Amino acid sequence: MGKYILKRIAIACATLFVILFILFVMLEFMPGSPFNDEKLNEAQKALLYAKYGLDDPFFIRFFNYAKNMLQGDFGVSYVINKNFAVSTMIFQRLAVTIVIGIQAMVLGTIVGLILGILAALKHNTWVDTLASIISVIGVSVPSYVFALGLAYFVGFKLGWFPITYNPSNAAMSTILPTIALSLFTIANIARFTRSEMIDVLSSDYILLVKSKGIKEYKMIIKHALRNALIPIITVMGPLLVGLLTGSMVIEKIFAIPGIGSLMIAAIQGNDYNVVLSVAFVYSAMYIFTMLIIDILYGVIDPRIRVAKGE
Amino acid sequence: MKKLKKIVLALIAMVMIAGCTTDKPDVVDPNVDVESKIVVATEIDLSTMDHHLATDATSFIAQTMVFAGLVELDENNQPQKDLAESWDVSDDGLVYTFHLTDTNWSNGTPVTANDFVYGWNRLIAQETASQYSFIMETIKVKNAAAVTSGEMAKEELGIKALDDKTFEVTLDAPCDFLLGLMAFPSFFPMNEEFATQMGDQYALTVDNMLYCGPYVMSDWMSGSGYKFTKNEDYHNADAISTDVVEFKFIQDAQSAMLEYQSGNLDVVTLTGQMVDAYKEDDGFTNRLQGYLWYLSVNFDEPSLANKDLRQAISFAVDREKMAELVLKDGSIAAQGLIPVALAKDKDGVDFRESNGPQVEYDPAAALEYFSAAQAALGDEISVELLYEDTEAGKAVAEYIQNNLETNLPGMVVTLNSKPKKTRLDMMKTGDYQICLTRWGPDYADPQTYLDMFLSYNTSNNNGKYNSPAYDEAVLEATQGASASDSAARWELLKQAENIIIQQDLGVIPVYQNGGAMMIAPGITGIEFHSAGVDNYRNMVKE
Repeated sequence: MGKYILKRIAIACATLFVILFILFVMLEFMPGSPFNDEKLNEAQKALLYAKYGLDDPFFIRFFNYAKNMLQGDFGVSYVINKNFAVSTMIFQRLAVTIVIGIQAMVLGTIVGLILGILAALKHNTWVDTLASIISVIGVSVPSYVFALGLAYFVGFKLGWFPITYNPSNAAMSTILPTIALSLFTIANIARFTRSEMIDVLSSDYILLVKSKGIKEYKMIIKHALRNALIPIITVMGPLLVGLLTGSMVIEKIFAIPGIGSLMIAAIQGNDYNVVLSVAFVYSAMYIFTMLIIDILYGVIDPRIRVAKGE
Repeated sequence: MKKLKKIVLALIAMVMIAGCTTDKPDVVDPNVDVESKIVVATEIDLSTMDHHLATDATSFIAQTMVFAGLVELDENNQPQKDLAESWDVSDDGLVYTFHLTDTNWSNGTPVTANDFVYGWNRLIAQETASQYSFIMETIKVKNAAAVTSGEMAKEELGIKALDDKTFEVTLDAPCDFLLGLMAFPSFFPMNEEFATQMGDQYALTVDNMLYCGPYVMSDWMSGSGYKFTKNEDYHNADAISTDVVEFKFIQDAQSAMLEYQSGNLDVVTLTGQMVDAYKEDDGFTNRLQGYLWYLSVNFDEPSLANKDLRQAISFAVDREKMAELVLKDGSIAAQGLIPVALAKDKDGVDFRESNGPQVEYDPAAALEYFSAAQAALGDEISVELLYEDTEAGKAVAEYIQNNLETNLPGMVVTLNSKPKKTRLDMMKTGDYQICLTRWGPDYADPQTYLDMFLSYNTSNNNGKYNSPAYDEAVLEATQGASASDSAARWELLKQAENIIIQQDLGVIPVYQNGGAMMIAPGITGIEFHSAGVDNYRNMVKE
């Protein structure tokens, strides 16, 4: 298992290097430049390019950047926060995004599981129908519609929680965006849990468990849910990455200083280093989340653990 | 089943507790009087506090809060004393001597004339690479061009600290609008010792700056907002009545408006679509900005080099209706290249008023010119209109397309939307036919617009308009013998506008930007300037 994980980490690092190179090439083809403001003349532009080393040949720039990146230096921002270290900008915002993302994931998973289990246990009753309706709404209604509704009714009309992010009241400020973000997760987890549970509950070994007279809750938690969880964890990976990379729309509506809104601003402003670093961090998060999910499989299902250990 | 319920409840409780533990305690400063705090929403994040690197209104506004210049502009755009308590101008208008008031930087060292010398030198130094270095030449400081380009040593620049409290500026030619520009952040002082010590970390955090303005910056969180607290050491601190001014970065105008209605925000900018919903409300404010949006036409395109076609396009656009029905945010139809309320002559008459309207909507005339154009170019004429992918940009471009295709049968307008940076790139390389673009004035004089279209101005004259008569009029007004004669200069500037707009249609003015805002009733003292920086220093909350 340890050897397997090490191998996976090595592959992940190599992948990230390739991704960095591809990002660099793509930025090279991006139209515009960070320094094409209407007030800049050619001489000033040349000065700025020289100042930030943008006039060096492509490969020199790439290897300089990769080298600095290994030392934690992601360059400086040219547009959004002039001359700020990109690493600090990303770190600050990533923290906010991750807090909200994880809260939404936890909330979404718990509510989704409960809904899914109830729907499966009360298969073909009104509970099942209600859970299905919630799932369909959650998957089909865009999260920003829900976010606007929450901002208006809960934030503005009822005044229970802050509408926009307030750093001096950070925890309360994350509640509305967390709920808005979790809806999609709730819907997805509930759907998968329901169908998996129905499958498992009708299998032979559950019949055996029942005939042995084991208590119902023990049967559900220990025997049914554990087996139903494996496919659910597969969908949780991409869902989690989606939440952690930040939802641009949700961040805009609730004025959250997160990484999703940073990415959009960086692309619009041609802020090269920021675009590059955020895209790189996204990739890293995706790759490592998938790695963790793979390891989790092993924990849950010994059969996978054994197969991979070979 | 009951136990399941318990487990579920326990889990929910755990999540709620987990949510609470990330709670940071509310920081409440007992010294701050809640009554005198004003919160302003900004839809653009603060880019830089280094006043030599700033290029956008948000940054300039923040800088005028915490730094100060020789003068500040009053609500009528007139310069009033700030760090300079008085000034003398020589009879020939070439030497300005500023006498500084006694005031200190926030670390206790006095603000001296050398801080201005250092600041001005830093603005044009090559290593600063400031986008506003050109402005030193604009006010015609002696040797500015040669020093900026590096041909002369910085000591040759026509500025001098006669003593600690006397700052002298020598010009190559008189400049009517110099005093007003002294309120612009590019000309603010900077403490040499501190700035050198900070190096490339200068102004990156609230502690890496020295303040000399009405406020000090007490908090700055990138992507979220920033806060100013009254500077008791400011020389005119008695005139400042608001203790705390907070700027909150909220991109979404709807969310900002909800916060405004909840009473958490005092000043909010509205989008054009929101205007109808709030225009009857208390606090609704329409302001006029100095930005002029115009159509840049590419003279390298054979069809657009045809003057009849340009004339037809200009006559076919109903600018009044566009402002009223499409933009709705207080924008007005452009009458010429120079916006309304930008510059006044010596008698106080607005340039726009004295030079009269240069463009108008006349579908009949448009059709006539279009027929002439068709005779030369063929019956079907198609052009591509490049514009920026913003809400307003799209609405205006579609409106123009509709106007042209309806009023000029046979005309086909295709739309091409690009992000701003890409649009600018395409304009610079001449890769466009017609582009909806804008210019914000740097100072309150027609020259800020007219300089752009000189035949040799490669930075701004993207359409390659070339008129010797225009060049001659502008150069005579700005650098020739008439430069020192206000009345003659004004006549030449008016003549130049006539040539480029009425006579040649070198560019086609469209509209002047407005801005719809909500300002909470009870708040006064926000001063809007069509050129220069809006002033939020003197806000009062009743």
